[in-house]
Amino acid sequence: MKKSTMSSHRTPKGKQAISSPDHLIVPQTPQISTPTNTTPRRSLRLTSATPQSTPLPPRRKNSPHSALKTLKSYENAAPHSPATISITPASPQPTESRRKRKLEEKQGAVIEKKRVRRSDKCRNVNYQVKRKAYYRKVVFDGVEFSAGDDVYVKRREDASSDDEDPEVEECRVCFKPAGRRIMIECDDCLNGFHLKCVTPPLREVPEGDWICNYCEAKKSGKIMEFPEPPKGMKRARTAREKLLSSDLWAVRIESLWKEVDGTYWCRARWYIIPEETAVGRQSHNLRRELYRTNDFADIEMTTIIRHCYVMTPKEFSVASNEGDDVFLCEYEYDIKWHSFKRLADIDNNDDGEGDDSDDDDWNSCDESDSVSEEEIEYDDETKISSLSQASIAHPVAANSRKGRIFGLQKIGAKKIPEHIRCHKQTDLEKAKATLLLATLPKSLPCRDKEMHEITEFIKGAICDEQCLGRCLYIHGVPGTGKTMSVLAVMRNLKSEVDAGSIRPYCFVEINGLKLASPENIYSVIYEGLSGHRVGWKKALHFLNERFSDENKRGKDMRPCILLIDELDLLVTRNQSVLYNILDWPTKPNSKLIVIGIANTMDLPEKLLPRISSRMGIQRLCFGPYNYQQLQEIITSRLKGIDAFEKPAIEFASRKVAAVSGDARRALEICRRAAELADYRAKRSPISIADATGRTFNNIFISCFILFRESDFLIVKVIVGMADIDAAIKEMFQAPHIQVIRSCSRLSKIFLAAMVHELYKTGMGETTFEKLATTVSCFCSSNGEIFPGYDTLLKVGCKLGECRILLCEASTRHKLQKLQLNYPSDDVTFALKESKDLPWLVKYL
Amino acid sequence: MAQENPAELAQIIIRSRLSNPSFIYSFFSQFPDSNYRRLHYVLLGNSHLCNGTSFPVMGTHVLELVLEELLKEHPDMISVIKLNGLLHSDNNCALKEISRQLCLEHQLLFSKMASFDDNSQFLLSMLRECGLAHKTIVFVLEEFDLFTQGKQRLLYSLLDAMQSVSSQAVVVGVSCRLDADQLLEKRVRSRFSHRKLLFLPPSGKDLHSLVEHILLLPTDSRLPNDFTTAFNAKLLTWLEFLDISQNILADEKFKGIIDTLCYSDSTVGHLLRFLFSAVCHMDLKSGFISVENFKSAVPSIQRQPKMEALKGVCILSKDLDCSILELYILVCMKRLEVKELELCNFNSIMKEYKSIHDTFQTSDYYARNAFEHLLERALISFEDTRGHGQSAEFRPVKLLISWHEIHQGLKSNRGYFSSSPIRTSPCPQNHVPRALKDVNSEM
Repeated sequence: MKKSTMSSHRTPKGKQAISSPDHLIVPQTPQISTPTNTTPRRSLRLTSATPQSTPLPPRRKNSPHSALKTLKSYENAAPHSPATISITPASPQPTESRRKRKLEEKQGAVIEKKRVRRSDKCRNVNYQVKRKAYYRKVVFDGVEFSAGDDVYVKRREDASSDDEDPEVEECRVCFKPAGRRIMIECDDCLNGFHLKCVTPPLREVPEGDWICNYCEAKKSGKIMEFPEPPKGMKRARTAREKLLSSDLWAVRIESLWKEVDGTYWCRARWYIIPEETAVGRQSHNLRRELYRTNDFADIEMTTIIRHCYVMTPKEFSVASNEGDDVFLCEYEYDIKWHSFKRLADIDNNDDGEGDDSDDDDWNSCDESDSVSEEEIEYDDETKISSLSQASIAHPVAANSRKGRIFGLQKIGAKKIPEHIRCHKQTDLEKAKATLLLATLPKSLPCRDKEMHEITEFIKGAICDEQCLGRCLYIHGVPGTGKTMSVLAVMRNLKSEVDAGSIRPYCFVEINGLKLASPENIYSVIYEGLSGHRVGWKKALHFLNERFSDENKRGKDMRPCILLIDELDLLVTRNQSVLYNILDWPTKPNSKLIVIGIANTMDLPEKLLPRISSRMGIQRLCFGPYNYQQLQEIITSRLKGIDAFEKPAIEFASRKVAAVSGDARRALEICRRAAELADYRAKRSPISIADATGRTFNNIFISCFILFRESDFLIVKVIVGMADIDAAIKEMFQAPHIQVIRSCSRLSKIFLAAMVHELYKTGMGETTFEKLATTVSCFCSSNGEIFPGYDTLLKVGCKLGECRILLCEASTRHKLQKLQLNYPSDDVTFALKESKDLPWLVKYL
Repeated sequence: MAQENPAELAQIIIRSRLSNPSFIYSFFSQFPDSNYRRLHYVLLGNSHLCNGTSFPVMGTHVLELVLEELLKEHPDMISVIKLNGLLHSDNNCALKEISRQLCLEHQLLFSKMASFDDNSQFLLSMLRECGLAHKTIVFVLEEFDLFTQGKQRLLYSLLDAMQSVSSQAVVVGVSCRLDADQLLEKRVRSRFSHRKLLFLPPSGKDLHSLVEHILLLPTDSRLPNDFTTAFNAKLLTWLEFLDISQNILADEKFKGIIDTLCYSDSTVGHLLRFLFSAVCHMDLKSGFISVENFKSAVPSIQRQPKMEALKGVCILSKDLDCSILELYILVCMKRLEVKELELCNFNSIMKEYKSIHDTFQTSDYYARNAFEHLLERALISFEDTRGHGQSAEFRPVKLLISWHEIHQGLKSNRGYFSSSPIRTSPCPQNHVPRALKDVNSEM
């Protein structure tokens, strides 16, 4: 079963003939008696989705109208379903801890109540909310569904074609399933063809994109009908086709529960096909693209057909479970504002984390405490939802509501810009992207020793039964990976916690420079530990209680790790903040571990002795990177991208290592060099080709690969030494020499007089009066016009403005003191070859 | 409207051009290697790829132009946040301003009660959301050097946000200081991508073509066609100094004018001011700009305030005794300076004055008036700003203009005095130059 090779843009669909018929999961859905009240989802949505000018409440988890709507369509089906369908109610594994269930029950209750309120014709079910059971996984019709899965959902219950759901796709020409033969998919119409059925027949799957004859013909304007299916045999449409022609829906299951009457329900988040959005299909939309919406609905499990797979582009390009039901989803669509937003990667992580923490056995022991916490959070949520209902009358400010931010759903692109999607990244652009400081590398090279030490320190502190408080002070010049190493260690430890090999802990990360004032750190710590925001005095009180008071503590026994970045910013006049923070670990049973990070090596020595003694002696130094390390860092980022010459990287890293050893700087240089190369390549390919002969004859830039692509001459530019050199020059060279060279003649004379005066007197400082005499002397002996004192003063002020000179305010006039801000040698160098004033040389 | 003088119209057109920076600086955008193109490229690149950069620029107008063009190209993809160091150097206030402008841009409700924490959190989440929605936020920090005062919290959090969140934003600092990036704290500097764009004053050739760009009238305006062609032709005869035209003399003259202008200051702003005053001198009857207009504009652009103040003294001295007194006071101060007496205040000046000139008696009242007049003109000043309690007579004063300036000022106004400074005459005015001569010989 070979599949066409996947380029990054090619849909990874393999015509996998799934021959085993037992895999066919056709849920024998109940004959739903009332198909009449099904309304097309789209129209309903559009009516409800007119954007209003007033800021709307943020969409919480329950969107009432959608809930109502789906209820309408499925409600009547509900009583029938248990009778006809074979649900396996025994299988649901209630794996979750009680705590989560409790919370969700409450949320569910809210939903339920709302539902009752809204649709009062509702079933006369006695609401024993407590009985509603939530599950993470449900086995339904022999198929396991769990929260987070993507499924097809029925749209029209009366549609006869829904009954047959071929898992196996047929060839569009001969209408036979793939069988043993290889099928190929057209990248435009997504139809499948046998290799032999295509004209001309293909031997093997071609590289790159392939478009069938029919689509090609359509493109060139001809009409070429697909062959009609043989009589008596109807062409079976796959679920994918139906979905894309909006006969089916796809949803993502957010949660699952069992109703009191025994029916299974799930909370679903709709997917939408590009045609259903306000802007319609955009030219860059891929064939298998879906949008995730922010619209939720409760649907019954019986309407679910089977699984489909909606993936992010990255997963999509490497998708292993090839098949027909694979879709791509990169954007979220806001149905209220008709705007698009990229899906955040963090979203999934959050889900994962939430689940993980629920699995912990450790949590069960302190349940009483955490439940109360959850309740508070829950209260908050209800408050918010009530608030959001009220907010139509009183709009909420976006930037302040005790740290909650409103109205962000308004932000979104009305249309996804085309160039982002269609643009194929060249190697240089890829290199630029990976060299960004923001892109986190997968691994951190060159800091193994330090990371090991940090890990040992934390493990030693946590795993100790007593869990004595400890302090670690990490120092090093900027850009040596201090914070990143600690965070990487914490990530590793987290996975170990998940694996259950060490006990859980809580981790609070604080940056000293991001605090409004040093005292604010208390409230930030307290918020990190408990989730509440209080004033700093109160927070200090609570924290004192928690860490030092023997009796009042004890509820939360988890050790706490505090990472304080830019520790030196916390130094106040009486240093009380640092004292407090460093004093807690010394208390018995405080279980507090403090990791402080700062640039200066001798910060503890600068502090009061009582503080530095509490800080302990554990220090860790992050030395500046040497050139090999920098080289390794850059190459590890550029792995797999052919954009840089090796000596170029070495040159950059040697240069940076000699100056500062700052990895940020090295990456920045490389990125700038890539940008320069890219700029050169984009400006005009032809002129570059010319230039290869002339300027780049030198050994530096060696590789130019020319190839034709769609009639454009594309020059592949590789970042070479010259680019790196230019970038370094731009970064390290101060611009003053250039400025001095290009300034007016009088300014040059002025500066020359400054230098002259400096050498004559040996003093750096001079007054305007003395200087003016020198200038007038220069001018008169060299045939220049002396423009007058006032003009000269103006010139001096101009030079002072851009800080070539340091000067006093000009009101002092002749008493004004002047001094060169740059070394006199630089000025001499800059002035020596000035063409317009050749006589200046004799005074320098 | 139809009866309007075409010359007047032409003047209006040129003046409006001169005061419209986007017209002037669009001239520079045509060069492929100009900063304009480079800035455009960098900003565009950043808005397409999702990344953040930061760099200081020295040149506001070009930046504005680039942003304008980008906004036109991608209307809803870029939002510009403008801060000015003079107004927002305080971190708190800067963050508040950022969130205010963000709210305005996205039609969100802004609360001015929000705290620093709230605002910074808001900023972070806005950056994230905008990054997800393919929107670029461009922070323009004017007077960038002023943001480096204090702990640089704002810069740190902006630059850090640019690196940690997958945000799509650009920080552009604009400053006239060359050493602006040296003012950053080292941890901020490490986060800062060291890109610099330097805006240099244009070369002489560029300046000439810029003048042409400004002064030549457009052919598609409301002006009558024949007037436009005549106007342009007349201009070109002496503008195109490179060609060998008939009007070489005029060419040379004009070139000389521009050269004197560039001698002291070759920036575009200076040239614009000059052109503006030249256009204002335009002869509306003939309707054409002549070289004489430019010539007469030169002194108005190169003012010498101190010299004029001195001249003003001299002009006044024609009718007022006390102005002669002022000159006397200046000269006396100079004499005192030469004698290197430590203290120079009103009383010692009066003593000196009497010693030169004991025949002519002036009451202290007039002398004090003259003294105050000089103080107002900032030709002399008190040595220290403190000591307001002391009466003016005893506060030490200093001469602010140099001896050469006094000399020059007197020389240029010699006409007001009697022809020969050496000749003794009963006219008191002659004493000033004589006194000066004394000083001269003592030097």
